[in-house]
Amino acid sequence: MIDQALANMGVVSTRGRSIAYGVFSLTALLLLWFLATSVFQWIEPRVLPSPAEVVQKYVQHVTEPFSGLTLAGHILASLERWGWGVFVAMLIGVPVGVFFAWAPWFKTIVNPIFELLHFIPPFAYIPLAVLWFGASTATQAMVVFVAAFPAFVINTQLGVSQVEKIYIDAARVFGAGQAATLRRVVIPAAAPSIYTGLRIAISNGWMALVGAELVVGKVGLGFMIAQGQENASVSTIFVGLITIGCLGVLIDNLVQRSERYVLPWRKNVMVNSG
Amino acid sequence: MGRLASYRMLGFSVAAIVGWVILWAWLTRDGGPVPTLYFPPPDDVLNRFWRMWTRPYIGSTLWQHILSSLYIVLTGWAAAALVGIPLGIAMAWWSRLKWIVFPIFQLIRPVPPLAWIPLTILWLGIGDAARISVVFIAALVPWLMNSMLAVYSVDRLLIDAARTLGASDRQILTRVVCRTALPTLVAAARMALGNAWSTLVAAEILAATAGLGYIAVNASQLLDTDVLIVAMIMIDLLGIGLTALIEMSQRILAPWSLAGERRG
Amino acid sequence: MMSTTTSAPLELAGAHKLELQSITKWFGKKDEGILAVDDCSLAIDKGEFVCVVGPSGCGKSTLMTIGAGLEDPTEGEVLIDGKAAGPPGPRRSVVFQKFALFPSETVEQNIKFGLQMTGVAAAEQEQRLIEQLKIMGLEQFRKAYPSELSGGMQQRVAIARALVMQPEILLMDEPFGALDAQTRTILQEEVQRLHREKHYTVLFITHSVEEAVYLGDRVVVMTRRPGRIKKELTLPRDVVWKTGDIEAAAEHPDFIEARREIWALVREEIIAGQTN
Repeated sequence: MIDQALANMGVVSTRGRSIAYGVFSLTALLLLWFLATSVFQWIEPRVLPSPAEVVQKYVQHVTEPFSGLTLAGHILASLERWGWGVFVAMLIGVPVGVFFAWAPWFKTIVNPIFELLHFIPPFAYIPLAVLWFGASTATQAMVVFVAAFPAFVINTQLGVSQVEKIYIDAARVFGAGQAATLRRVVIPAAAPSIYTGLRIAISNGWMALVGAELVVGKVGLGFMIAQGQENASVSTIFVGLITIGCLGVLIDNLVQRSERYVLPWRKNVMVNSG
Repeated sequence: MGRLASYRMLGFSVAAIVGWVILWAWLTRDGGPVPTLYFPPPDDVLNRFWRMWTRPYIGSTLWQHILSSLYIVLTGWAAAALVGIPLGIAMAWWSRLKWIVFPIFQLIRPVPPLAWIPLTILWLGIGDAARISVVFIAALVPWLMNSMLAVYSVDRLLIDAARTLGASDRQILTRVVCRTALPTLVAAARMALGNAWSTLVAAEILAATAGLGYIAVNASQLLDTDVLIVAMIMIDLLGIGLTALIEMSQRILAPWSLAGERRG
Repeated sequence: MMSTTTSAPLELAGAHKLELQSITKWFGKKDEGILAVDDCSLAIDKGEFVCVVGPSGCGKSTLMTIGAGLEDPTEGEVLIDGKAAGPPGPRRSVVFQKFALFPSETVEQNIKFGLQMTGVAAAEQEQRLIEQLKIMGLEQFRKAYPSELSGGMQQRVAIARALVMQPEILLMDEPFGALDAQTRTILQEEVQRLHREKHYTVLFITHSVEEAVYLGDRVVVMTRRPGRIKKELTLPRDVVWKTGDIEAAAEHPDFIEARREIWALVREEIIAGQTN
């Protein structure tokens, strides 16, 4: 949201001089790192390894198994847990959101508890999930679910309640019942908002997953970082951090790009508002 | 919405929550469908709460654990404000600084703050410093981004209008700039605190000797589900309390920003 | 000389096609909320084009919503062929002011929407769609989304979506209010032509006196809120101004006379509304 606001104000420019400065600053950072570790050795490798070491470690993790799996294996394990959590959250969260908007009695009953528990961060569910499910995929997926679920409910509800009454009227005039109105008018109209919910859910879920994997489990990217701490290997931690960051950006980009294929009628709307 | 209607809404909410607690008690009753190990009944939780309040649990009373959590979260949050606000304003002021610093931020931002925990533990040990610095990282981004936004959101037209009405630079700063920027900063405070709080819990689960997250993870290992639920409820209540404090300060500092927020 | 009478609608054999009987509508609780429409009666015969004009906020759109069955009147009744009209259905089609085209559906899907809802066979859906696309000049936009069309084109789709149902009654709620002047003129002429050729029964809501005089067989003037019927004027049909384009019609002395008379009535209401 802030990114959008800043982009609209032309703050986050991707053109011209700003790119030059960006390249300069990142190169300088890399150079400083290189000088501090490899050349002048101001910092011990135990505390901060050199860029070369990190690259070497990266290659090693890609090619050789670490705690039983190569990097790709850990990535897949993380993605699987994360995917399940987000998927189940969507499966339950979207209908609940629709219900919130359409059935006020349901909202009256469920929303107070929803609001009340909303202030428990997803990570606080980790111990409970461990107690319930032990060190299994279900534990991780539950934490992801808890992190992703509210985003689906809130944004679906928002989208559905913002559907203009005139569309509902039009559907009624042309003979649509509740089910058809929901399927052909309300859900498509709420889809952009649900998509926003998906993006938030995905990034919240990703964050929660890393947290859960740090605490419990024998595979996954979070586990890799935790192992790095255990083995006092800063380079392994770096490999984990870099992979987590890149995957986060990659997934968000994919979801953002997929919107135009899933919601083709939004093409023009986006151009207009952009 | 009239006052009467909002009181009625509150009544419904309280009734609904009471209903949920009754459902909880019924599900976890003796011989009920949910075993106590998985979810303890409300009276167990209440008893446990009282015992933890009056007698130390793993080294400290509940109140001391709460203070420990609050100390870390508020220190990290305030430190992030001290760095984030001036840096954000400076970045909005000098584009060059922004162009230099922003890419580094963009590089770091996709990594969840709590993923830094192992690194900070390696670097700083298991003491308060590791947790404070992780909380600091979590709170810094909202502070910085919103401070930038606050400067940009000040409408040039309003400044020009004030100038034509004879306002001095100081008057413009206090009457125009602060007034428009303050709500954004309050929003920053809130987001930063939210991030800080949730990251703190993760940090305490991973590495601490006191605090609510520490209680929670201990309880989970010892299968003390009632202790765990007490910890989660306290985490929830503190989250609510901190948010309420910020909302209260918003009401005092920037009352004009509330009308719009309710509508949205 | 034309006859601008205040007479009751023509007495025909049998019941009226659409009849609004003493409609009263309160928003909120009766006698406490806002009285939007107060005891309005209106009868439209088969093949008749009735325009309702009045100052903005006078409740004319509310009257249409009630006529379409989208809202129930607080008091009064809506009849079709003398029988209670009931909920909205395929006998009445509506063209909304802001088009209300479903943004997630293509032109084709929008037009077919009502046919699919009422279970028309696929082959007939296709045939009626093609016919309607041709009538409204939309053939090349069949696969377009509403957001890809201009306002005028969107309203053509909305009209096509209503006409494809072959409704007995067409309700139009300020359908051209959101269009620019040139597009509006072209669509007014088109609607006039359609009515002349196919004899649709139309209830047409507008705030434009000129539009009402050009299109209507009968013009109903409403008061400011609470909306009551101030006056009904019957205009001759099939005279020169109703067969030509609107530019030519507007120069006809009878047209000018009718417009002057109706405008005077509407103006009274606007001014009275402002001084209140």
